[in-house]
Amino acid sequence: MSERRDLEEQFDRILSEHGAAVSRLAFSYEAVASVREELVQEIALAIWQALAHFRGECSERTFVYRIAHNRGLSHVWKRRPPHQPLEEIEESDQPIDPRPHPEEQVAQTDRRTRLMSAIQSLPVTHRQMIVLMLEGLSHAQMAEVLGITENNVAVRLNRARNMLKDALGERP
Amino acid sequence: MIEDRELDAWREQWNSAAEPSADFQRKIQQRIKREDRRFVLGNILTVIAFVGILIFALYMRHQSSWMGTGWATSICVLVFVSAGIRIWVLRRTWRPETQSTRAFVELWYKRVAARIRLLRISTYLSIGWLIFCAALMAVHWSIIGQDVRAHPKGWVALLVACVLMQPAVLWYGAAWLLRRKLAELNEVKQILDEMSGNSAP
Repeated sequence: MSERRDLEEQFDRILSEHGAAVSRLAFSYEAVASVREELVQEIALAIWQALAHFRGECSERTFVYRIAHNRGLSHVWKRRPPHQPLEEIEESDQPIDPRPHPEEQVAQTDRRTRLMSAIQSLPVTHRQMIVLMLEGLSHAQMAEVLGITENNVAVRLNRARNMLKDALGERP
Repeated sequence: MIEDRELDAWREQWNSAAEPSADFQRKIQQRIKREDRRFVLGNILTVIAFVGILIFALYMRHQSSWMGTGWATSICVLVFVSAGIRIWVLRRTWRPETQSTRAFVELWYKRVAARIRLLRISTYLSIGWLIFCAALMAVHWSIIGQDVRAHPKGWVALLVACVLMQPAVLWYGAAWLLRRKLAELNEVKQILDEMSGNSAP
């Protein structure tokens, strides 16, 4: 009973620390807000189910990102077409920007939507690289999450970044 | 340290993208409870189904009905052989999501390939089951024959349901599932190729 309570406490802490990252990560796999919420719940459930077997072989952050990406990959396969237009994102629960200038707010929302749309248009493996980079993981941590070498991470990250620039129309 | 303004701008946009809803944790807890209940219920139903089959087989044996014993035996054989083959074919292909993405995708590929193998085996198994039932009938034809002559309409209905409908439904379903699994296999292979850098950038 006490073991279960410890697990619940650990799980609650993981959700408080990494819940926002998991939500952002779900954005890269699902554009529709209602389905994305379902995906976030599935990721959290998978974390809960795996938590009892977690023996600290990797960092907690790596553990969470691995599960989230693997669940995301399965989700992409189950849900076809893999990505849809981002119209629904506009009506989703976007945080309200506290800044007073509406024009700047609109421009920022527009930039964010373009970035999300561009990320979702990338092949899944490149999408993962970009998401991990945006989450601020080091090359070593990325290698640990994805199961590839650090050199490979550098090469693929460069390629993924160029593809993202192409998708955003930022490359001449 | 080299400043990367482009990356900083992307990060700023990325970090403002989504926050979990206020009742996020409550919803998760509800979902976990629901899944726990489903897991327990699933296990109870499986045990009930297995025990039910065994009781049915024993009951039929005590009824000294060759027909009933034959059906019960064939159902038991089918259930246990199917379960055994399923466990054997899918061994070492479970998909622990805590592994790295590459290991996860490799296991996913193996699992889909094993499922395709299992589907093919199941098709042969269903033919085998029909032959097994036909053999049982042939062995006990002296008894069954009397029943067939007494209730010909019932036997024609049984023949249509078991011998004609079952293969048609099973094989149609298997063909549909096989197409789906082959598409999944291609997709997973594509992801693996992308990971190995074999695909065109």
